[in-house]
Amino acid sequence: MKWRYLKQHIFFGMVRASALIITLALGGIVFYIVYNGIGAISWEFITKQPTHSMTKGGIMPAILGTIYLTIGAIAIGLPLGIASAIYLTEYAKQGRIVRLIKVGINCLAGVPSVVFGLFGLGFFVIFLKFGSSILSGSLTLGFLILPTIIGASEEALKAVPQTFREASLSLGVSKWQTTYRIVLPNALPGILTGSILGVGRAAGETAPIMFTAAAYFTAKLPGSIFDEVMALPYHIYVLATAGTNIEATRPIQFGTVLVLVAVVLGIDLIAIIIRGYMRRNKRW
Amino acid sequence: MESNAIISINRVNFYYGAVRALTDISMKFRKNKVTALIGPSGCGKSTLLRLLNRMNDLIDGTRVEGEILFEGQNIYAPDVDPVEIRRKIGMVFQKPNPFPKTIYNNIAYGPKLTGVNAGDLDALVEQSLKQAVLWDEVKDIMSKSAMNLSGGQQQRLCIARALAMKPDILLMDEPTSALDPISTAKIEELIEELKKDYTIIIVTHNMQQAARISDETAFFYIGNLIEYNKTEKIFTKPEVKQTEDYITGRFG
Repeated sequence: MKWRYLKQHIFFGMVRASALIITLALGGIVFYIVYNGIGAISWEFITKQPTHSMTKGGIMPAILGTIYLTIGAIAIGLPLGIASAIYLTEYAKQGRIVRLIKVGINCLAGVPSVVFGLFGLGFFVIFLKFGSSILSGSLTLGFLILPTIIGASEEALKAVPQTFREASLSLGVSKWQTTYRIVLPNALPGILTGSILGVGRAAGETAPIMFTAAAYFTAKLPGSIFDEVMALPYHIYVLATAGTNIEATRPIQFGTVLVLVAVVLGIDLIAIIIRGYMRRNKRW
Repeated sequence: MESNAIISINRVNFYYGAVRALTDISMKFRKNKVTALIGPSGCGKSTLLRLLNRMNDLIDGTRVEGEILFEGQNIYAPDVDPVEIRRKIGMVFQKPNPFPKTIYNNIAYGPKLTGVNAGDLDALVEQSLKQAVLWDEVKDIMSKSAMNLSGGQQQRLCIARALAMKPDILLMDEPTSALDPISTAKIEELIEELKKDYTIIIVTHNMQQAARISDETAFFYIGNLIEYNKTEKIFTKPEVKQTEDYITGRFG
């Protein structure tokens, strides 16, 4: 009896320790970034162009580029992902083919991001002649986050009670209208929650945009989706490995990391606000 | 029962995969009457009800044999659009299932999307809610979510929602089994009122309810139609021993 009690304590202790370690690791990383990066942050840093071969000045073009690429990735990944999930859950006959497609999607989620980058380079940049551009980068990132969005959308669609579908169909409303008017609005908060993860990932990825969109340095801001952009993750990579003066730019590197984390959190925050707004009146 | 039949079922078999759920059912439902379908759980009465507006189409691997004539047309003919059938044959479910929308939009939803009776939506919503005897309770909170209504109110809202499509037939699948006695009494009164304008087919587990509200009663047992007759006949002098055993509570 006593031994069982002890075992329980040991087990609970291990579980608690795991949770604590994760929290500490996350807290440690965030603290380290903020501690090292906060000094570099100023109004000038986030609103000005880099100067002196990127050892001084700001990182505004990179912030803007990351925002463009993220919006582009959402614009491509979200509709495509939701549409795929609707097909898989609402329309496709459940069977071997659907299972095969789902396995394929899961495999896609496991493909290293550099592979997406190479695919983007080969297909969008070279074959479709989009060049290294916002468009190519957005498409590549959009495909990268597709599995996450499809997975989240499938779960959210399945969570909509079957009784809603039945009620709508029993009124003589067509299947598509039922999906569009009843199922999708009720699934949307869940879809967004899951998609946040994908979007955050897209904003922080370096490899997929390295060959498809990101510029080492551009003096001018992008004028169209066919222009190259600077981007925060790639800028960090450049400063830390190939900059003109790696040691001297350490504070800028940390400052850029801090801004990147803030941008990702900002994107998440917007999605959470939209989700909260849509969830009102949507309880069942 | 030959006269004024609105639905005729001819030799219908129904299968879930390899399992036969209904065996060689033939029966007619009369216009502007309340017909009750009774029988123990799993006897096929709900399955039959859902055959009448093709709701069983939604389940993969089901199969129908035979024909179901609605106003002379086989609703399982290949050229028939189930969506059209459901506009004329409405349904109320066991558990109240309002949409997470406002009260107004719950009622207006069907007419608006199908373009049926969509001319004067406000008037239609009011009329439907009055028919379902819910108007007085909700007329001041039309823009509130229907999810805030009580269970009984939600079920009457669902009835109003079905009525807004102005169907010919109203199918009810144990509509009061999730409700308290007072709400149940209200729905039963409502059914009494509605049969002037609609044909009602109701599945119920509650024998007293079938006896109270229906004109005709059909008793099912393991996928077979055992006995079908005037309600008072079924409940006073059933012809089949199984029917008598069931209604007197000896099994089921």
